[in-house]
Amino acid sequence: MPVIFTVDPRSGIPIYLQIIEQVKRSVALGLLAPGEQLPTVKQLALDLTVNPNTVARAYRDLEHDAVIETASGRGSFVRANGSADAASVAAGRDVARSEIDGAVRAAKSLGLERSAVTELFETSLDRWLPEES
Amino acid sequence: MNALSIAGLRKTYGNVAAVDGIDLEIPKGCVFGLLGPNGAGKSTTFKCVLGLIRASAGRVLFAGAPLEPGAFERIAYVPERSVLYDWMSVREHIAYMQSNFRGFDPERARELLAQLGVGDERKKVRALSKGMRTATAVALAFARRIDLLLLDEPTSGLDPVNQRTVLNLIINEAAQGTTVVFSSHQIGQVERAAERIAVMQRGRIVLEGVVDDLKAGRKIVEGILPSDDFSINGLASDARIARIERNGRILRAYVTEQPEGIADRMNALGAQGLRVVDLSLEDIFLDAVAPKAATASIVEGV
Repeated sequence: MPVIFTVDPRSGIPIYLQIIEQVKRSVALGLLAPGEQLPTVKQLALDLTVNPNTVARAYRDLEHDAVIETASGRGSFVRANGSADAASVAAGRDVARSEIDGAVRAAKSLGLERSAVTELFETSLDRWLPEES
Repeated sequence: MNALSIAGLRKTYGNVAAVDGIDLEIPKGCVFGLLGPNGAGKSTTFKCVLGLIRASAGRVLFAGAPLEPGAFERIAYVPERSVLYDWMSVREHIAYMQSNFRGFDPERARELLAQLGVGDERKKVRALSKGMRTATAVALAFARRIDLLLLDEPTSGLDPVNQRTVLNLIINEAAQGTTVVFSSHQIGQVERAAERIAVMQRGRIVLEGVVDDLKAGRKIVEGILPSDDFSINGLASDARIARIERNGRILRAYVTEQPEGIADRMNALGAQGLRVVDLSLEDIFLDAVAPKAATASIVEGV
């Protein structure tokens, strides 16, 4: 399987969080389909040249978040319950939630009121996700 | 039970302490990175741990037991300076290792030597470049069946391709449950391969932890205060803050844990435009060995 993940070990963002985000993104975008096998911990560690325990930690958290499931001795797989759409929507929502959370936090610390933030969101929604007429 | 357990390790030369009371617990299967400026005591620590120099005080346990001669069958050590014999060829070294260690696999050694570009095993060590000597020593160590690998700057003098090969060898060993302790000045390598690190300075450990946890906790939280003389009473005593720098309205906190919590607290105190700045392991390392002392004028009012 070609490596579909990339991490930047030099970044200040913990590597295991980068892996989690990448896996969720890949599921959201359908690069990883429900039921599809992920690289083994050892394989991904060698592909990315990062510590195997760090990869194992990411996989544990992904399991906890119900994105993947691990069958002992067989490896880790993207969770297959529900439709492909449901899995990818859930993973996409996870990634987007943290982005939106960060944006609201930043707006708050810049001193914006709730009403101003709501207005910004509405503008943004109208621009990128207009309601179908 | 931890693979390596070090308690109160000291080594003094006259009244100079090269190693000044070190405690370390290294779990089985962990890749542990030892960082520190030159002269911090990393190599002396390795040698004391292995009994190659006699420690002045302290206790070292390997999987719960003190070091005994038989244990060397399951421990490999690659010192900072190559211990290869100048007058011997690479092939003779392979034979030498084979006669000394039951778990040595000569085929694996040849495979690793080829991978690292040490092609001609008839060559005398004398004829090898510094990088090729390091590569040879590393290949011989990794060709053994071991539980614990101690590597003192295993990538020094290697070209970038071989550095990456050695990192992958470390990762491969770790994936099989081998415990690896390695020192390096190349923080980028430690950042990749190590799960836990310790930073040594002047014989002591000044920082220790899981790399990803250190990165998650250690951030700079920056905020803008309403005025130059605005009081933020009590913030400096927050245990999660290592130190605070203040320059007029700009407040900068070096946080060791829960950066988001500190950002919220600073926000509640009236600071605006809060930014949480990520720190790389290099930033964290430099801050551990040389924290920029905040001047009195900067901290005034905090």
